[in-house]
Amino acid sequence: MMAVKKEDKYPAARRYQVADIQVSREATAVKPNVVVNLVKKAKHPVLVTGGQLLKDPKLVDFAVKFHEKGVPIIATGGSSKALIERGVKPQSAVFPLHYVTQFMLDEEWQGFDGKGPYDVVLFLGFLPYYLSRMLSALKHFSKITTISLDEFYQPHAKFSFTNLTANKEMHYQMLEEVVNNL
Amino acid sequence: MAFELKKGLFAIDEMRNVSIKIGKVVEEEEEWTEPMGPTPKPGILELRKWDHKLLERFEPFYAPMSDYCNLCTMGPCDLSMNKRGACGIDLKTAKARLVTIACCIGAAAHTAHARHLLDHLIEDYGEDLPIDLGGDINVEAPNIRTIIGIKPRTLGDLREALDWAEKEIVKVLHATHIGNEESFIDYESKAMHVGMADHIGMEVADIAQIVAYNLPKAEQDTPLVDTGFGIVDKSKPVIVVVGHNVMYSRPVVEYLEEQGKIDNFEIAGLCCTAHDMTRVSSKTKIFGPISYQLRVIRSGLPDVLISDEQCIRADLLEACKAVGIPLIATSDAAIRGLPDVSDWPVDKIVDALVSGKLPGVFLSDPEKVGQVAPLVAEAVFKKHGGERKYRFFETDEDLWGEINKCTQCMSCVFTCPHNLRIDQGMAHAQKTKDLSKLGYLEEQCLACGKCEQACPKNIKIINVIMASNFEKLYNKSGKTRVGRGPIQDTEVRNVGQPIVMGQIPGIIAAVGCINFPDEMQSIREILEEFLKRRYIVVTSGCHAMDIGMLKDEDGQTLFEKYPGIFDAGGLVNTGSCVSNSHISGVAMKVASIFAMRPLRGNYAEIADYILNRVGAVGFSWGPYSHKAASIATGFNRLGVPVVVGPHGAKYRRAYIGRYYKPEKWWVYDIKSRKKMNIEPAPDSLLVAVETKEEAIVQLARLALRPNDTSQGRQIKLTHYLELSQKYLGTLPDDWPLYVRSEADLPLKLKDQLLQILESDYGWKIDWDKKKILEGPIRPFDAGFNPTLVEEVYEKYAGEKPPQ
Ligand code: SF4
Ligand code: SF4
Ligand code: SF4
Repeated sequence: MMAVKKEDKYPAARRYQVADIQVSREATAVKPNVVVNLVKKAKHPVLVTGGQLLKDPKLVDFAVKFHEKGVPIIATGGSSKALIERGVKPQSAVFPLHYVTQFMLDEEWQGFDGKGPYDVVLFLGFLPYYLSRMLSALKHFSKITTISLDEFYQPHAKFSFTNLTANKEMHYQMLEEVVNNL
Repeated sequence: MAFELKKGLFAIDEMRNVSIKIGKVVEEEEEWTEPMGPTPKPGILELRKWDHKLLERFEPFYAPMSDYCNLCTMGPCDLSMNKRGACGIDLKTAKARLVTIACCIGAAAHTAHARHLLDHLIEDYGEDLPIDLGGDINVEAPNIRTIIGIKPRTLGDLREALDWAEKEIVKVLHATHIGNEESFIDYESKAMHVGMADHIGMEVADIAQIVAYNLPKAEQDTPLVDTGFGIVDKSKPVIVVVGHNVMYSRPVVEYLEEQGKIDNFEIAGLCCTAHDMTRVSSKTKIFGPISYQLRVIRSGLPDVLISDEQCIRADLLEACKAVGIPLIATSDAAIRGLPDVSDWPVDKIVDALVSGKLPGVFLSDPEKVGQVAPLVAEAVFKKHGGERKYRFFETDEDLWGEINKCTQCMSCVFTCPHNLRIDQGMAHAQKTKDLSKLGYLEEQCLACGKCEQACPKNIKIINVIMASNFEKLYNKSGKTRVGRGPIQDTEVRNVGQPIVMGQIPGIIAAVGCINFPDEMQSIREILEEFLKRRYIVVTSGCHAMDIGMLKDEDGQTLFEKYPGIFDAGGLVNTGSCVSNSHISGVAMKVASIFAMRPLRGNYAEIADYILNRVGAVGFSWGPYSHKAASIATGFNRLGVPVVVGPHGAKYRRAYIGRYYKPEKWWVYDIKSRKKMNIEPAPDSLLVAVETKEEAIVQLARLALRPNDTSQGRQIKLTHYLELSQKYLGTLPDDWPLYVRSEADLPLKLKDQLLQILESDYGWKIDWDKKKILEGPIRPFDAGFNPTLVEEVYEKYAGEKPPQ
């Protein structure tokens, strides 16, 4: 795994919930190029999109770009509607993240595409406290590499963007950098 | 041997050292022909087999909040990545234990409340007060009949049910002690057991108060009462009650009515006490749910506040003190460090509170509360002459002074349960003098107060948010239909068939707290979608209050738009949290009244019936408390799936099936005498969704049942597919799983769907007849008679179930 150099450019990895301190292993805060490498090395990566896409059309743009770069998409939270309208065909469109996570916890599950377990899972556009619980389940009970691309640093992920809440532009730039280099 | 004792005085001569013990007086049994089922008063073991069946299919999902356990002094222990603690426990089991504890807390809350109320009512009204829930209720206590195996006729009879519930809750709590239980599945079974006991506690409490206080008895068109922040006439003294036990607030209404003064006061409530008070008298009003506590207190509107128990803030006294509102605490569950003045004379208590000598008192005598509260309110009102001291801010300058202090450090945002962007609202106001961004937050804010603790500048953030939406908040009003208690037997008779056959596509029960992910309006939007589609919508608790505050473009609330009937397109408010027992009860009544299944001591058969046939889905958009956890778990054991909003993921545990494992989805069919695979309907018992779009689609989806007729399945699928297309932009992924024959397909889409089945799923279609020849999991059979329970199979098939 690639070591992550601290760069001043990125804000601190600050938990979206100050009280969420009972974490034994915290997410590694990552830069876009690390995400790119992880996805490139993955056997069966997937991007899971959440309901915040309904509120932020920019996130939809990025999800579409991931799809164009060949990363399959599982759409939850009605984010499928926005994506389908843009020509994306999600692998699944009806299951909320709670279901998707339960399926991913099952090592025998062959994925929505039947090609075997997903190994690297990217998350984009979720309510932070909801995503956090799902990441916690995956951390403890699966071997999946989870990567949060959201604006709130997610301590339970394996890798997460740092906290970009104060600087939306930087968040978009980072997503841009990821999709451009895939 | 039975002696008959006549009226009169008995002299028993020559009988020394004889003691006569009169046990329970057995009255002549009125005809109750129902035979006793296999599990009256079940212990932890009796329904375990049923639980394990459910848990095998709906696998527990754990999402730990913390990687550690620190329950005992050997800890804290790091249980991450499935390490074990010093006591030997692993993470899943530790979380299952926590959920079990949470359910025990919830069940204990209702059950202790029931005990308190019942003992008091028996003292006042005698144990022989008959249970009469109105002419149309013959199945008076479906939970008690099904679980305890008795048919309670009087208040006194309810004790037997309560004794059982108390015993079981203690037993399960015992099992959460270190080392006691090793299997997370057995913990889940125990959580289900207390969840079921919770419904007994709730049923006892609500029946007792209905009969003793003469609350509405299953009336369909109970009155509409005022709801919302703007409801009180500020020119009168205002008495505010908060909590869950109407025992202490009812005397206030009674006293004022006796004195002919009820119209000179405003009596308004917060949380479920408000519901129950409006059931006592529709002259009282509902301020709103639990999240309105700080809003109401800080507004300075109350002249006196009465608190009882359960969902009340733990800083109530502090909050009241800060704005000079005298507090009367009444329940021994929440004494708040206050002096017990229960044996003081009324004058002395009033004087102590009005003069401010005591900021609050503990007063456990309900009658005295009834006298003290109005006197205090009147005197306090006189003091300020209608000019209440506090309204978030005294002046506009004060408000702007607070706003200008903000440095956008975001400490508040990272503390807020909703991560509300207070920083952005403040920055926007600082730059533009426009408060609208802050005002918008009011619609989402829970008024929990966490942000204020975090703000390094000590900004009164809640007040800023409330003041920014002042006009809207202060004028907020609506209508809630008074809680009606149970559903009538005749209503059940009318809808039983269409529910079971599926022509009424489902019952959506929107219950619980207010931790909504987004603006409150979302709950109205979600429910109206189902009301328009002629589902039955049932509600209670804080959800019912919120629905009453939310108006559409024409200024109408759902309670004004839809009738209070238990029928297609009806919106029923059963009442407070304890009235949730009528929702589990009505599902049982469908089994008994429509399908003639015996309830008595027959839980597993009834739950199995509901799971396979009754398209009821619980919905808690804003799950919050331990009580909500145990209520939901009780519904789950009864075979009713529950959808919760995103905060519900913090319950750490869900029950989610894996639809792609066919071996998990099977039943015994009593008709064909075969064990057969079925469609995964429903495919989860507890699931947290993120958005309102997901909520809508999942509710429609989980209303599907294996026993749907073709017509019923067609109607249910039509809604599911339409809603999925409307909100998710596509047909759902899994619809073919639910198709048994071409008759199940929605008419409008039939050709298109047949095409898809052929091309994408390889099904064989006879295009001349438009018939499905091959493909479905199982064929449709009108006599299909599914059960998961071996004993039920044996009972009706007269032989052992097939392997
Ligand atoms: S209960 Fe067990 S896991 Fe928890 S702190 Fe004690 S020893 Fe550790
Ligand atoms: S009071 Fe409102 S804004 Fe403050 S933390 Fe609670 S929910 Fe968030
Ligand atoms: S914590 Fe206080 S100062 Fe910081 S952003 Fe929030 S309101 Fe402003």
